[in-house]
Amino acid sequence: MPELGIVDIREIIGAVKSDFDYDFGNYALTSFKQRLERIMVLYNICTAEGLIMKLRSDNDFFDTFLYEITVPSSEMFRDPSLWRWLIEACFTGMVDKSTGKSRIWLPACVSGAELYSLAILISEAGLLDKVHIIASCLSNKSIELMKSGFYDLKKMEVSVENFKRVNSAKDLSIYYKSGHNFALRDTRLIQNVEFLRLNINFDNAPQNIRLILFRNSMIYYNPTQQEKILHVIYNSLSPSGYLVVGIKEKISGINTGRDFEIVNETESVYRKRLFS
Amino acid sequence: MRLKVFTGNGFLVEKMNYKAVIIGGSAGSFQVVTRILNSLPKSFPLPVLLCLHRLKHVRSGFVEALSLKSNIPVEEPYDKVMVWPGKAYLAPANYHMYIELANRIALSTEDTINHSRPSIDLSFVTAANAYREKLIGIILSGANKDGALGLKRVHDNGGVAIVQDPADCEVKTMTQAALQLTQVDFVYTTDQIINFLIKLK
Repeated sequence: MPELGIVDIREIIGAVKSDFDYDFGNYALTSFKQRLERIMVLYNICTAEGLIMKLRSDNDFFDTFLYEITVPSSEMFRDPSLWRWLIEACFTGMVDKSTGKSRIWLPACVSGAELYSLAILISEAGLLDKVHIIASCLSNKSIELMKSGFYDLKKMEVSVENFKRVNSAKDLSIYYKSGHNFALRDTRLIQNVEFLRLNINFDNAPQNIRLILFRNSMIYYNPTQQEKILHVIYNSLSPSGYLVVGIKEKISGINTGRDFEIVNETESVYRKRLFS
Repeated sequence: MRLKVFTGNGFLVEKMNYKAVIIGGSAGSFQVVTRILNSLPKSFPLPVLLCLHRLKHVRSGFVEALSLKSNIPVEEPYDKVMVWPGKAYLAPANYHMYIELANRIALSTEDTINHSRPSIDLSFVTAANAYREKLIGIILSGANKDGALGLKRVHDNGGVAIVQDPADCEVKTMTQAALQLTQVDFVYTTDQIINFLIKLK
């Protein structure tokens, strides 16, 4: 297994910045190093120079790089108690009374685990035609994967268990088919989803969002990038819109914390303050 | 760095300039960790990093159980918190726990390793990279091989590698795997581990 030193990582970050205008300099170092080393194993690359050469010589590889560098959610319906809270406390008052519509944004999709989990519950709440879901991600490969419905079969077992704990009256198996080593999710759930490619700073982020599901993504940033992205998130939320982050992410320590109030501490749910 | 220092009355003592203790354990380690935390002085001079296998979907209860008899505060850290001496940090359920070079905890939801998240190997390897020779790594009772690679890295980077004596373990697999991979510094019973730790200044 290749092992990268700090100098190697800086070289890769520098090359990606100069060639593609993506600056990973404010990603958390340890996990970023792990992701780079993982890509090198997957594509049989032994050195930092080898990875840089591959990025420069193979036009399609940068999209793959962006896909592999981001960490997908570990499973569907991770933290069932959060999903229960969404059903009971959030979805009910979701739709704007004057327009009859609402917007949800998932800023950092990779495999669609969060997207399909959300779409299933929105569908069960009878809100699929009222709620506009926006799924954004770094790579085209992610978008293709999500649209295809393919999912890692190994992650299905824990997802099924999670779904039982969400207390749905249904069994998760009605939403997917098992293949030889893959699961195929019901793509009708996502036929109205808007897919967006955004860069790592979320330039041109969607606006007027009622709920942002952004769990366990900021853990891959350093505090500088966390602050920058939280600012974007704040601006995207509608007044008193909800932000959900991972249960071990705390945004109050980050500079923009005063703009959010905590709604549910156990599940890490925040709300944009009306007046700040 | 290990410095030989003469005290005022002329005794030679070994003054060890450690920065952290990291402990990995699985099946059969809970009682051992509880005893260790119960024996450490309130003013224990190092942070204690705990990477223990646990049920992924059970978020609460574990840190509370460990805290009951601990002399030092035990917390499940939030992402990017600073690591302080005299505190214990327990890897949260369903997260890997890394140590960043900046002496902060970093959490991750990356894939399981050897079916484990938290992975003891990942916690040990990242701590070994951050603290180098100033790290003490301890592998306790457990039923799989997680931790063996991590302890090797602690040792390779000049840190102290300690393994609970397999004869003292409820389940031997994990300690035996660690011993197979690394010429460790000490094979200790629970009591000896405690004696070693409480002498650290």
